[in-house]
Amino acid sequence: MNPTQSLPLLQNALTVGAILFSLGLVGILTRRNLIVMFLAAEMMLQGISVSLVAWSRYHGDWGGHVLVIFVLTVAACEAAVALVFVLQAFSRTGRLDAAAWQSLREANVARTVDHELPSIDTVPLRFPTLTPAGVLPPDDENEPLQREHV
Amino acid sequence: MTPLSFDPLASGPLLAGAVLATVASLWLLLPNGRDNASTRWLGTLLGLAALAAFIATGRRLGGLGEEAVFLIVSLVAVISAAATIVSRSPVYAAIWFALSLAGVAGVLLVLGAQFLGVATIVVYAGAILVMFLFVLMLAQPAGLAPYDRVSNEPFLSALAGAVLLGVLSLSIGRLSAGPATCCELPSRGTATPLTTTPSAAADVATPAAANATAAPAAGAISTATDPLAENHVARLGGELFGRHLVAVEAAGVLLLVALIGAIAVVSRGEAALAAEATAPTRPSAGRSAIR
Repeated sequence: MNPTQSLPLLQNALTVGAILFSLGLVGILTRRNLIVMFLAAEMMLQGISVSLVAWSRYHGDWGGHVLVIFVLTVAACEAAVALVFVLQAFSRTGRLDAAAWQSLREANVARTVDHELPSIDTVPLRFPTLTPAGVLPPDDENEPLQREHV
Repeated sequence: MTPLSFDPLASGPLLAGAVLATVASLWLLLPNGRDNASTRWLGTLLGLAALAAFIATGRRLGGLGEEAVFLIVSLVAVISAAATIVSRSPVYAAIWFALSLAGVAGVLLVLGAQFLGVATIVVYAGAILVMFLFVLMLAQPAGLAPYDRVSNEPFLSALAGAVLLGVLSLSIGRLSAGPATCCELPSRGTATPLTTTPSAAADVATPAAANATAAPAAGAISTATDPLAENHVARLGGELFGRHLVAVEAAGVLLLVALIGAIAVVSRGEAALAAEATAPTRPSAGRSAIR
């Protein structure tokens, strides 16, 4: 092996990959929204990609690059299939909650019980507006359908 | 500015501090049912402290410009990744994830993976993430759902993630530049005949000239299989469709099967839902049964 390969760059990039992987692990373990869990899984894939490319740079060959291309491919397939499942789950339960499917849990796992949450004292968002000018438009009957905040 | 040799014993307390700060920060920041601004600020400060500790354990790269660029893009990637998993709102989480992808693409570019950096932006941020946002718009109820404001076992999860991170950092710090003792790689010149060009021999003879444009401080590798050399994308394509042609075909089949499978699941699911709606006597697997 070439002794002048950039070991510091490899170590730094591997650290970034490790941080991304760990954050994704925490996210997929702890979040309950199916979409956010999925984003966390994609984040773990990103950490792996960074590590693979770092090793590829270190060794000076294409192995890591090719593997990352296949990671991208599999991630695209995974996203398509999993989002279909998420949509089906949502249309059945009306929630994006992983705990909505807790009847699939193991027999010795305790049931997730939701307690009453304190209400959020949300201040209504103030978006910048232009000065009103001209005639006020008539009331939109779709107005109640619009969300107050995301 | 000299390249520091990493000493695990010397930076052990620093690493332990970083791990502890990560645990505390994630525990405070993850959704916990309360919305307390002070705990969130404390968690943010602890997270910044953990980041500073990780930066302090980082290795010098040589050039100041390269260091600065790497630091900026990796900070963007890591901070927005943390914001992704602690965001209450899934829409904000998806947007933070897009920013994290931009940072990851920057890291890939610094590492010399031009094609992959661009592909990450195009495929992930451009396609996959937009699909996520579409699903969120279809499925997200108005306002913050209760399940977005609580977490499953936030302390244990943060502990698991931070301990994994500490162990990984420790083993990364123990990497040494010595030659691999266990497994010698096959000679690259013979292993990749497709990418061996007549200039390969010249590159080996004059490594400095070959790397004059790409990361001079990193020095390093200078055969024609080097991803840092010229014609990056062309030679990546040659590698992909040469040595890995069968795998490319398999990936194409996988994409096709995933597409068909997704469409099949959608149509079957619609049919099942319609059947449930028309047959109310049957105990439904839907809302009532799930509690």
